[in-house]
Amino acid sequence: MARRATSTMKQASISEFFEKNKHFLGYDSVQRSIITAVKEAIDNSLDACEEHRILPTISIELRRIPNKSDRILMIAQDNGPGIPAKSIEKVFGSLLFGSRFHTIRQTRGQQGIGITGVVMYSQLTTGKTTHVVSKIAKDATALKMDIGLDTKKNAAIVSNRERIHGFVDHNGLPVEHGLRIEAPMKAKFQRGKKSVGQYLRMTAIVNPHATIRFHAYNEDNELIDSFVSERVTDRLPRPVREIKPHPHGIEIGSLNRLLRDSSERNMRGFLRHTFSGIPMRAMKEILQRSDIDQKIAPGEVSPEASQQILTSFSEVRLMPPPTDCLSPIEDLLIKKGLEKGVDSAFVSTLTRAPSVANGNPFQVEVGLIYGNADVSAEGPIEVLRFANRVPLMYQQGGCLLTKGIESVSWKGYGLDHPGGKGLPKGAATILVHLASTNVQFTSEAKEAVAENEVVMTEIRKALQEIGRHLKNHKKKSAQKAKTKEKFELVNEILPAIATKASNLLGRSEPDLGPIITKIMNAVFCEDEVVWDKEAKVHRCEIKIHNYSARPRAYSILAQYPEKEGVEIIENDLGGKREVRGIWCWKLDTISPNEEGVIRFALKGLAHNEWNSTEVFFRGAGDIIGASKIDEEILIEIQKEEERALEVVKEQASMIAEDAMESDQDNSGDLDQRELEDAMEGVLGDAIPQKLPEEVMDTHDLDNSGTLDQNEVETAILESTEPKEWKFDQYEESGE
Amino acid sequence: MSEAKNREEVIQSLNEVVAEMHDRMLKGTPPTMTLPVRAKTNIEFNQRLGVYKYGKKQTIRDASSLGSARQLLRALHVIEFIEEMIDSEKSSTLREMYYISEGWGLGKFENQNGSNNLAEDLEIVTKCMREDFKLRPEEDGARMIGNVTIEERNRRGEWMTINCRDDVGDSGYGLPYNVEPEKIRLIDEDVDYIMAIETGGMFDRLVENGFDEDSRCALIHLKGQPARSTRRMIKRMSEAWNKPVMVFADCDPWSFRIFASIAYGAIKTAHISEYLATTGAEYLGITADDIEAYDLPSDKLTPKDIEALKAELSDPRFSTGAWQDQINMMLENGKKAEQQSLAKYGLDYVTDEYLPQKLAEFGLGG
Ligand SMILES: Nc1ncnc2c1ncn2[C@@H]1O[C@H](COP(=O)(O)OP(=O)(O)O)[C@@H](O)[C@H]1O
Ligand SMILES: [Mg+2]
Repeated sequence: MARRATSTMKQASISEFFEKNKHFLGYDSVQRSIITAVKEAIDNSLDACEEHRILPTISIELRRIPNKSDRILMIAQDNGPGIPAKSIEKVFGSLLFGSRFHTIRQTRGQQGIGITGVVMYSQLTTGKTTHVVSKIAKDATALKMDIGLDTKKNAAIVSNRERIHGFVDHNGLPVEHGLRIEAPMKAKFQRGKKSVGQYLRMTAIVNPHATIRFHAYNEDNELIDSFVSERVTDRLPRPVREIKPHPHGIEIGSLNRLLRDSSERNMRGFLRHTFSGIPMRAMKEILQRSDIDQKIAPGEVSPEASQQILTSFSEVRLMPPPTDCLSPIEDLLIKKGLEKGVDSAFVSTLTRAPSVANGNPFQVEVGLIYGNADVSAEGPIEVLRFANRVPLMYQQGGCLLTKGIESVSWKGYGLDHPGGKGLPKGAATILVHLASTNVQFTSEAKEAVAENEVVMTEIRKALQEIGRHLKNHKKKSAQKAKTKEKFELVNEILPAIATKASNLLGRSEPDLGPIITKIMNAVFCEDEVVWDKEAKVHRCEIKIHNYSARPRAYSILAQYPEKEGVEIIENDLGGKREVRGIWCWKLDTISPNEEGVIRFALKGLAHNEWNSTEVFFRGAGDIIGASKIDEEILIEIQKEEERALEVVKEQASMIAEDAMESDQDNSGDLDQRELEDAMEGVLGDAIPQKLPEEVMDTHDLDNSGTLDQNEVETAILESTEPKEWKFDQYEESGE
Repeated sequence: MSEAKNREEVIQSLNEVVAEMHDRMLKGTPPTMTLPVRAKTNIEFNQRLGVYKYGKKQTIRDASSLGSARQLLRALHVIEFIEEMIDSEKSSTLREMYYISEGWGLGKFENQNGSNNLAEDLEIVTKCMREDFKLRPEEDGARMIGNVTIEERNRRGEWMTINCRDDVGDSGYGLPYNVEPEKIRLIDEDVDYIMAIETGGMFDRLVENGFDEDSRCALIHLKGQPARSTRRMIKRMSEAWNKPVMVFADCDPWSFRIFASIAYGAIKTAHISEYLATTGAEYLGITADDIEAYDLPSDKLTPKDIEALKAELSDPRFSTGAWQDQINMMLENGKKAEQQSLAKYGLDYVTDEYLPQKLAEFGLGG
């Protein structure tokens, strides 16, 4: 489609196309143009680094050009792979040379028209060329050139092309590989919600693996705005993979085109290899329902029959598309990103499990900062929207991500939400990130996500959950404050009153014990989680103070982040695992004015992964600071655990069954080729991490060289562990 | 209670407060301090004294909550401080006490309002006066001009005779914070009545126009909500010399409260109303009727004004028909006016026309 657009455009003037469409290309105002230019540059840098597994360090500079009040020089430099000499002209000189038009995967570079648009805008508004310096690791020198556009031919006009030494980074150190772009343009510098600074700040939050430097100078070369956001993780985003289309996302037009262009010999192969999610049995059923022979060539399918196929897509049972093609930021990293620069506020983040809407895998991530000093307490909360790690700055009101926030009843979670309509109010920030292989926008400008019920439901669920976190946090802090007050009262104020009163009257001091029990008349729980830097463990201490008049006996339950690789240690009291994520101890009877203490530690978590526990109890009366355990919730958690296990089992058995169906020689065993074919047909490349050989190696228990159904099932169950991703080095040579 | 107490009596009453706390603790119960509710819901007209006093509602400050416990501890610190001052024959201002309390650790005050209020609490429970506690306000009393003669005992302990017309400049005689007989004696007068004026601007106008001589009155500037010494001085002069008291104020809800504090007693100081209130004081103006009758320039009532007026409707001190009518009229018209709005008709209008007309209604000034 894009290819055709290019060829039609070539006939008209390419600059005319630009002029006509500048509103959705992002160049419709001077304020917005500079953001778009920065965005094209930084998105490319992040994408290129990600593809080449480089930890990005990106520097953006804006410099007001002296004596030209409306011009700014944008300088963008990265430590990415650089661009091989022979591609530079194409990248900067021809519109729509991008690499992303035909693949189904999650990428940033979906908006705008790429870096050529920047060159074009620069040239149209200043008449000047764009200066490019590129160095790839293989070459000893960097290549620099000035690039202009021949708008009639859609080609670059290159001048001053030259190999140079001394290409350095912001520290003055030689650059091993990287790219620098200097483009003058008509632009206006500003601060605030819709500014380059905000765009970069937002970019930094969702790219915690990147170091981003921003500096803006006025025409006297004085610094007027800047920030440096250091990376908080060395973990690069999970590499994204291309996936085959899923039948549920296909329209009749595309289906016909796919049929027409297919190189598969027969329909059996067409259905199995063009799409993801069609198991063998479904393939057969689809063809049966559509009354099509398995052997017929795709090109011979009649329009009526293809309509039939489309209908049966929605009737037969399919596998969902693979979702590991998505690259979520993951809640801990969002948290780190959000926590940067905000003090003593409450931050909660959440990454939902991937889901599917109309055959497109997607995943929702949310974050909330409560008590953010940078946001006014009177106005609406601050909203940070992202699609595939790209900040969305415009059309906030019309965006599904915003509507998702508005649809939650925040009042119940402790935010001010007048009338339950619009955005909640207060010094809070809510972040919503939608990762998807196909983000649907409301318009070409790609600034607002379009309505979609399935996505909306996921957003709501995610927000409701962090809402619950907030509510718990507020409840807990209120209780903590109350407990602290009571403790101050009986431990400090009351003794002071007793001493002073006795001194004034010259009498002896009264015994405070009975007074304290009367004042407190309750059992209190204090809990604390601290990170032991040296030992790299989290230590948790739970204290139950009995300030009531009778002895008390309880079972205490505490929540902890249970997951693989996390181990409970230094747990002298023992106890037992109650359900997933909850441990239970039995405490000895605590006499009045005594306390019971539980101590344990967790090994295997990162520093930020745990900072507070929730304490529950079984027993009579109330404990301030802990909740009575709801046995039904325990049962619910238990059931959910079992259900989750069953889903995994069911999917595995579906794959296994599929594999068995592919057992073409009917031997009851699969040979390696059959297995390979079977697994690819169902999941696309969902299980690339382990090659079929490896699966065979580790699971062919009877050493027959083939797998029976049981073996296949376990093989697939265990093969979902991700494996280190390898990438091919940039293969192109320099010149 | 207007009788000054001797040292022992004061210390004795303070110790009773401490003993309440200690006794409770001995019994194994949280310490308490019992005092009357200090709100308009607990002021009652005392027939015998003719003023409003606290009623029977009591609150018990109980150390079971952190806030109350802190108050008790603060009270103990204040008591200790007072006893030390009595011992060493010193005195301090309320502000000084507030600053000293900075060193009281857990018992320190958050602001001066807190320490002032606690001093009042102690006055109320001990039935002592803050003068007994050696505490004085830092705000001075008001200014007075008119043909009255008093004696004031100065710092050197000598009695000075002062005629408040002839021996003072244009700003008048400044009242000290203590106007009790040990400090001020009333000697002589040649006036028909006492006029208390809310604003400084109006006071100066009447002085400049020589109204004190023309109308044979003593003029006292109230300076907004009048200090205790101002109210006490008005009461002493009115009682000793049997003179009517006329209050001339703005027409707004706050001025009504100023009047009430002179005529019936203020809610905050209801424990010593009989000592501060001049029961016969009259509200001269500006009334809500005056705004209409004299066609005075007016301002719109603010939401705060309206709230205050509504609160006054249920205030026992304004329960008489005349006050209810005034307040309702104000609420209806939605207007308030300042004393100085009379200047609309020229600088002499207030002394030549307005006041003589209003005073005539009370048989004065003629
Ligand atoms: N900073 C960079 N480092 C390395 N390669 C880059 C960089 N910027 C652009 N490229 C290459 O140029 C191509 C075209 O970029 P662009 O015109 O922005 O389109 P798109 O980002 O949609 O692919 C990219 O796909 C990438 O291969
Ligand atoms: Mg791009």
